[in-house]
Amino acid sequence: MGVFIKGEKEMSIIQLLTSSWTLEPWVLVFALVLMAGYGLATGFRFRGKTVIFSTGVIIMLLSVVSPLDYLGRHYLFSAHMAQHILLLLIVPLLLLLGIPESATQKALNIKPIGAVMKALGNPIIAWFLGVGSMWVWHMPSLHNVVLQNDDLYIAQQISFVIIGMIFWWPVFAPVEDRRLSPLASTLYLASACLGCTILGIIITFASAGLYSAYVNPADTAGILPYLRNDLCITPGVDQQIGGLTMWVPGCLIYLTASMITIAKWYASPEADELTAHSGGSVLAEAGSYKRK
Amino acid sequence: MMVGFFVASESFFFLMLILAYVNFHGSQVDGPTAVNSLNPIVTGIFSLFLLASSFTIWLAGKSLKNKNHRMLKFWLLVTILFGAIFIFGQGIEWAGLIEKNITISRNVFGTTFFSLTGFHGFHVCVGLIMLSILLGLALFGDFKGPKSDAVECVSIYWHFVDGVWIVVFSVIYLWAFL
Amino acid sequence: MSSRFPLVPENAESLPTLNESEGMLSWVASIDHKQIGIMYLICTAVFFFIGGIEALLMRVQLAQPENHFLSPEVYNQMFTMHGTTMIFLVAMPFLIGAGVYLVPLMIGARDMAFPRLNALSFWLFLFGGILVYYSFLTQSGASDVGWFAYSPLSEKPFSLNKGPTYWALGLLAAGIGSIASGLNNIITIFTLRTPGMTLRRVPLFVWMILVTSFLIIIAMPIIGSAFAMMLIDRLLGAAFFTPAHGGSAILWQHFFWGFGHPEVYILVLPAFGIISEVIPVFSRKPIYGYAFVAGSTVAIGLLSFGVWAHHMFAVGLGNVANAFFALVSMLIAVPTGIKIFNWVATMWGGKIHFATPMLFATAFIIEFVIGGLTGVAIASAPLDWTVTDSYFIVAHFHYTIFGGTVFAIFAGIYYWFPKITGRMMSETLGKWHFWLTIVGFNMTFFIQHFLGVMGMPRRTYTYHDLPYWGSMNLLSTIGAFILAISVIVFILNVIVSLRKGNVAGDNPWNAWTLEWATSSPPPVHNFDLVPPVRGRRPLWDLAHPDMPDEPNAKIV
Repeated sequence: MGVFIKGEKEMSIIQLLTSSWTLEPWVLVFALVLMAGYGLATGFRFRGKTVIFSTGVIIMLLSVVSPLDYLGRHYLFSAHMAQHILLLLIVPLLLLLGIPESATQKALNIKPIGAVMKALGNPIIAWFLGVGSMWVWHMPSLHNVVLQNDDLYIAQQISFVIIGMIFWWPVFAPVEDRRLSPLASTLYLASACLGCTILGIIITFASAGLYSAYVNPADTAGILPYLRNDLCITPGVDQQIGGLTMWVPGCLIYLTASMITIAKWYASPEADELTAHSGGSVLAEAGSYKRK
Repeated sequence: MMVGFFVASESFFFLMLILAYVNFHGSQVDGPTAVNSLNPIVTGIFSLFLLASSFTIWLAGKSLKNKNHRMLKFWLLVTILFGAIFIFGQGIEWAGLIEKNITISRNVFGTTFFSLTGFHGFHVCVGLIMLSILLGLALFGDFKGPKSDAVECVSIYWHFVDGVWIVVFSVIYLWAFL
Repeated sequence: MSSRFPLVPENAESLPTLNESEGMLSWVASIDHKQIGIMYLICTAVFFFIGGIEALLMRVQLAQPENHFLSPEVYNQMFTMHGTTMIFLVAMPFLIGAGVYLVPLMIGARDMAFPRLNALSFWLFLFGGILVYYSFLTQSGASDVGWFAYSPLSEKPFSLNKGPTYWALGLLAAGIGSIASGLNNIITIFTLRTPGMTLRRVPLFVWMILVTSFLIIIAMPIIGSAFAMMLIDRLLGAAFFTPAHGGSAILWQHFFWGFGHPEVYILVLPAFGIISEVIPVFSRKPIYGYAFVAGSTVAIGLLSFGVWAHHMFAVGLGNVANAFFALVSMLIAVPTGIKIFNWVATMWGGKIHFATPMLFATAFIIEFVIGGLTGVAIASAPLDWTVTDSYFIVAHFHYTIFGGTVFAIFAGIYYWFPKITGRMMSETLGKWHFWLTIVGFNMTFFIQHFLGVMGMPRRTYTYHDLPYWGSMNLLSTIGAFILAISVIVFILNVIVSLRKGNVAGDNPWNAWTLEWATSSPPPVHNFDLVPPVRGRRPLWDLAHPDMPDEPNAKIV
């Protein structure tokens, strides 16, 4: 068990893990607002989707208050990336999947809200918002600023959840006919995977020190020697793990989503339309049958 | 659909060239680099012509939809003109660099810069040829409208060429100077 | 066959044969997908022969330690050209050619979406291949830097001969042809399916060609741009991959394997498609788990772009990167394994008829699994470190590409030869071919696993007289010559069957996909009448109207 010195006190990993929970008020407020809004929209009825939505909210809470947040904010780029994956990909997906179709349809029917939802739900816009936000927040200058400024940090995290939901909308919208077709979904997700892969490649293979905040962080918890020496997580290794985390688990999430979409496609019945000639003979003409 | 997939395929070709450029950016310690050799303002002005040409070809498409033959030919001509001005600008830029002995074999900057802009310029030239063919056919009375697969396909290709330039310009000129 | 199925009338115009003098010109100018497909098959056969000779020459050189049959320079050209030929000029074009011939027939279309582009693809392949081989006639000989042309060996000043330049140019041309084929396939499959044949009802071979085509249009531009950069380096003195000039040798490896790994899936997915067609027909059962086979193919296609660095474990990317790539490489074995289960489950409980196509298909499963198992083993970076660049790797990829793709190709040839030519192949000669191949192939390559583990490096023209190395290599060489004999038997079979084979008829195997609903060979326009498609086995539905595959399929 690693032991490290904070000030004059020695701290073990357990103590670190238990002491670095940071319960910030905004998170609780946001979670409560989400749950309240959800309850109102669904008439406070408990069903399967409630569990999914709540799980999303709980994971969001955990990722922001747990030591993951502390580590990611002050020590490890890779921890920060793990948190981002949760906030941008997993939490929004769960939230979206937890919203019942009826509530969504009602919202869509309200003219101004429906118009905004349709505009944001356009696959091209949703794609660029999702992939774009990833790229924008990873510009080194912006990234460092966010780590230092509390308000920007909170804004970034909230933006991830919202943009994440927008991104997943074309694939998993609660209302079926607002979704893309299964093959189009696969293309949508595959191209998004490419987008985050390129970013991940650049970060992984760039020379260390891309994000200056993590090179020599202020060691307020006293764990830096443990990280650097015992676990051998140098800034270079940390950056590699971070880049690869964005890239591999990120893409695996996209891949799993497209596999689920394709599985559902194969499981659903065909919509058959063939014209029958009179007299019972059902032979179609040969040749090309162009379809757009 | 065909042009769409073709464009997606070519994007990967350009992606590799861009990745090569990004890979070497910053590793050049001495000798000519983007920062000390390029003029983003001048190139930016010529780029505006290319961007405008995307707008004009869109206008050409709209004219076709409205069966406005005269305007179709006009906007095609303007598109070609703007594209040619862009190529002209590229040519001057290249000539200037080569005069200063910044060539493709000089260093990694020269290699990646000339390769990336060169292949892009080549794609623009191919686009200009196709646009000229369209214009020629239009002059001979083709394209009764309101739809034409040929015009649509060339338009998609031309927008792609423009889109690639936006990325290339950002990566080579904007990134270096920001 | 139900009597409701109308007889297809006699061909008004038959396919031109090579005997007619004016026929030759009609072949050169042809844009008919069947003729183009046949030309692909014939040209790849010629390249297969040449690549095989190159392999035999290598095996003769390696039969004894410290042999001097080939000089090191010639040996280097041999392994470079053997690899290049077999991958780019045999396996890829054969599978593309098979797709070109079969896909329009399988979807009930008259031709491909862009017939002239189809012809262009073929001629680009042929002339690209000829350009690559032209290098043998130059003073400095062919490319000798390996089929992967690692930098800086492939760059100046280490490689001053013209071979690699011809190589890159020729492959660039052929690659453009492949991209065109890929695009053509995608549009054809998306737009020209006969009514009722939805994307969930296409034959699995068609689905595999679809996914492969996506891989092609993404992976080939990657290598195309890498070849362009390499040529710019070599011809214009640029600095992409030359470390001395500020360039990066590792960048070439990233680019090459970024293409190279999807490429091996390009080589194997259509082979999976062939197997998915052959096994059900000869087990008299529909494929088990169509959706799983189709869905896992998409997974493989997507994952294939994320595992390339497992070819670079020994290059120093760092433990973190190695670990991630090792994990994903192991993961990609899962969808492939799913397919193996599906094929075996198809055979289980079926009425299996071991005609020659089925023999090769069954052997495919066994040999490919062996290759796959060694693949999973070397996906582990530390294990790879001990065997990389040794004959263990050579054995691995020959089991997957030869035991996999080539076996599937043979299965496909025996299966579709009757359709293409109108004549059955000789079962006797086929069985001789099969068993000679089994003995020869396993004898050549199984022992190479051991040689690799014992430390024998690849791409070296000779080796020291270490204990058992000589005898094992000799065994491998003998196996190679048995393989050569098997190929001769095969060629004999083709010639004999063309002249004297039994007339095939429309559907000699009692198969169920649309290509069997027309004459053998098909008329120029493919179909007079296309049977209705309301399921995945249209001819089964036609013959068994009381037991259709999809009883709920409605006729409006």
